Amino acid sequence: MSVRYRVRWTKEGRTRFVSARDQSSIWERALRRADLPIAYSEGFTPHARVSFPDALPVGVASTGEYAELTFAAPIRADDALARLSTALPEGMDILTYAEVPAGAPKLASLLRATLWELVWPPVDATALTTLLEQRCDTLLAATSHEVVRHRPDGDRTLDVRPAVVSLAVATGPTPDGSGARTTLRAVLRNDAPTIRPSDLLAAVGDGDVAPPALVRRVAQGVPSDDGLTEAIDGTVMTVRSDVVAEAA
Amino acid sequence: MLGARTAARTDSLLPDRGDRSAFRAGIGAPVPPSVLPALEPLLDTVRKPAQYVGGEHNMVVRDWAGADVRWLLCYPDTYEVGQPNQGIQILYEILNGRATTLAERAYAPWLDLEERMRADGIPTFSLEQHLPLWAFDVFAVTLPHELGHTNLLNLLDLGGVPHRAADRDATDPMVLVGGHAAFNPEPLAPFIDAAVMGDGEEVVLEIDDVLRTAKRDGLDRPALLRALADVEGVYVPSLYAPRYTDDGRLSRTVPVAPGVPALVPKRTVQDLEAWPYPQQQIVPMTETVHERFSVEIFRGCTRGCRFCQAGMITRPVRERRPETVQRLVEEGVADTGFEEVGLLSLSSADHSAIAPIARSLADTYEGTVTSLSLPSTRVDAFNVTLSNELTRNGRRSGLTFAPEAGSERMRAVINKMVSEEDLLRTAEVAFSQGWRHIKLYFMVGLPTETDEDVVAIADLGIAVYRIARAHGKANKVTLSVGGFVPKPHTPFQWAAQDTPEEIRRKLALIRQHIRTHDGIRLRTNDPEEGVIEGLLARGDRRVADAVERAWRLGARFDGWHEVPTLDLWRRALDETGVSLAWYAQRERDEDEALPWDHLDSGLEKGWLWEDWQEARTAVQLDDCRWSPCYDCGVCPGLDLVHDTGYQPGALLPVVPSVPADLGGAADAALPTSAERYAASATTTSAPGAPR
Repeated sequence: MSVRYRVRWTKEGRTRFVSARDQSSIWERALRRADLPIAYSEGFTPHARVSFPDALPVGVASTGEYAELTFAAPIRADDALARLSTALPEGMDILTYAEVPAGAPKLASLLRATLWELVWPPVDATALTTLLEQRCDTLLAATSHEVVRHRPDGDRTLDVRPAVVSLAVATGPTPDGSGARTTLRAVLRNDAPTIRPSDLLAAVGDGDVAPPALVRRVAQGVPSDDGLTEAIDGTVMTVRSDVVAEAA
Repeated sequence: MLGARTAARTDSLLPDRGDRSAFRAGIGAPVPPSVLPALEPLLDTVRKPAQYVGGEHNMVVRDWAGADVRWLLCYPDTYEVGQPNQGIQILYEILNGRATTLAERAYAPWLDLEERMRADGIPTFSLEQHLPLWAFDVFAVTLPHELGHTNLLNLLDLGGVPHRAADRDATDPMVLVGGHAAFNPEPLAPFIDAAVMGDGEEVVLEIDDVLRTAKRDGLDRPALLRALADVEGVYVPSLYAPRYTDDGRLSRTVPVAPGVPALVPKRTVQDLEAWPYPQQQIVPMTETVHERFSVEIFRGCTRGCRFCQAGMITRPVRERRPETVQRLVEEGVADTGFEEVGLLSLSSADHSAIAPIARSLADTYEGTVTSLSLPSTRVDAFNVTLSNELTRNGRRSGLTFAPEAGSERMRAVINKMVSEEDLLRTAEVAFSQGWRHIKLYFMVGLPTETDEDVVAIADLGIAVYRIARAHGKANKVTLSVGGFVPKPHTPFQWAAQDTPEEIRRKLALIRQHIRTHDGIRLRTNDPEEGVIEGLLARGDRRVADAVERAWRLGARFDGWHEVPTLDLWRRALDETGVSLAWYAQRERDEDEALPWDHLDSGLEKGWLWEDWQEARTAVQLDDCRWSPCYDCGVCPGLDLVHDTGYQPGALLPVVPSVPADLGGAADAALPTSAERYAASATTTSAPGAPR
């Protein structure tokens, strides 16, 4: 009797450089090390039934990764998924999980928007925050804002504005407390065409803001007025208050 | 531009050599600066960044200050190629098993990252804690072949360490090399401090002891080098000097320091059971060339193929016991989660108990997704039966055999004891039992080769292809043909290497002969690739200048198609006056000294010469595991014995000429001859006597 679980997991630290292609075998081996009864696909080269709804660009950190796991036999989820979390490389941790009832909507359909976080190193923090706030206000006030995405196979013009649900900029302390840094948080719709943080940066950076030191996918879920409702456990995440909370 | 990083202060990653000593102190030394903060921003801009971050399952992170001796183990190629190397993994586990020894790993950064590292002043680093090369006591580099030589120089230079040994002092790491290419380290002599020959398990611990004592006693570099030369198996090139004759040939290489051995013997672990490593194998987080749990089922090979350096320098044969193999596999698969198990050796079907080993593992993993693989290219029906057993779970796709040469005469020259009849019968068995694809390995450019021998490769391929087609239209045959490169410590060490033009002509000859058979695929390497390998394999100390010059001109990753370096090498050879033809394409006389004559692989030079003469008259030599000793010199010279389950006079598990057993069902019982193992295992053997 197979059972399905959905998990939210992290891809932090060194593991943010792991590609989507390598991610599957990392999970497959961790599942085997944790000795969990994961189901396998049929065929000559069976693969563990772990699916990931979307790929994260290499180098981007995340506390908002998701996966759906199909087990061939019932498991004691709290214990089993804790073991799996331990078996995964450092930086990959399972945060929350939920069993999937029969007839549940597809995981991808629950991940309708993403809360992104872009962090700049502790330089010019006040000036940068002021500049980005102005640009964000302008973007929110506009009905459309086109940017050009450069690709090896040719440039593509995209309208960023329809994807933007909410934006917030704040100055906050660095983790070690030695200085201030700028954080831009954005809730972007995942509906096609998908707007990536790099597209958003093209819109608000306008060529005079350096790439952020770190980009993080914080969580995914259903968009609300100024944030989103997380897909697995329903936590309400507000784009602005979180930034202010961090700054405080 | 707002928000840009302030230029990273990276000076501290490459301090002056005079300011490095503190980090090299014994227990309690300060931790050198990690390169990670400077490296991380670069990782967003390079290919395959996961290869630079470490963090794999079974990585060992030890406290810098808690260690007395610190090793940086290196495979001088990309992580993708080097990570699966078993030698590094064995030494990593053994060294880190010591209370006050630390061992980390390093690989060569790809060209894109190297450029950024040089621009930002980031040195060669370890994966575990991203610590700089210059802070370690030892930089120990494995050289499985000759095409990592320029990378070795580059890694030293990038790591802030003078690439010439004479320019290094007490503030610099000791640079050691090991692996098969270390059996002729002369082209690297000015750049390395020592070469370690043979099995590493025991000798690394002895070196570790010498380093610990040296640090405690404050030995200077010359004294430390002298102490290392006293460790059996360690060759310190600076304590030896080559002498040349008037016509430029080598007359001999002699010790120039009192008391160092005139002949440096290789190290051999007699009892493999005492060293069941590696157990805690690294599980990579990014793609590598072999992702599997590997167990070395035996070491050494006495098939006596005259072209094969590995078979010659790793004698005698030492088997792991079946129960040990079973235990290592079961524990290793559970610990790593690998889906594939590799049973490694130079010819895995030759383990005396391979049938019970394969059967037992196949039973253990029947009905699971764990697959078993056994790199064996033996040309006989037993290999097919064995492969059937190992693929119980899966698909019978491809089998590989290595006849190595096309004609019977040529196979007698190289001592590959397989007849055309064997091969065709084996192909018949394989295709009739459901295998779809046979791959055949061959070489061209072998000594005494004529065009007739070359064309015989094509003819053999066509004959096998006819059998393939008779069993199914979609069946395939691939001929994989490489150019032969003569190697030291083999009977072919005196032979001339073909020029790339000649290899190219021979490959074209094969291509022309198979052109009407669309189903035969021909795979060849670029003939130019063997040129540098041939030069370095048999080069002497004078070739070192060319290595240095080629590296200066930009040569690195010499084994990669993506990095064509031959033109750089040709320029370097021109500028340094080193003749490629003289080193690679010249046949040597019996009385010419060879650059590795003072390095003892155990093989008697006189025996090798005799075998070379027999090769030229196509006289074959049997395998001494099951036929009488022919005095190659290894066992008595190094006080060793074969450690196998074969009884004197025993036959192979299946002799290719037993047709009655062959056409049987796919699940025909494996031959039980290897059960002899059980009988012999109970026979106590006296030291020095063949078991």
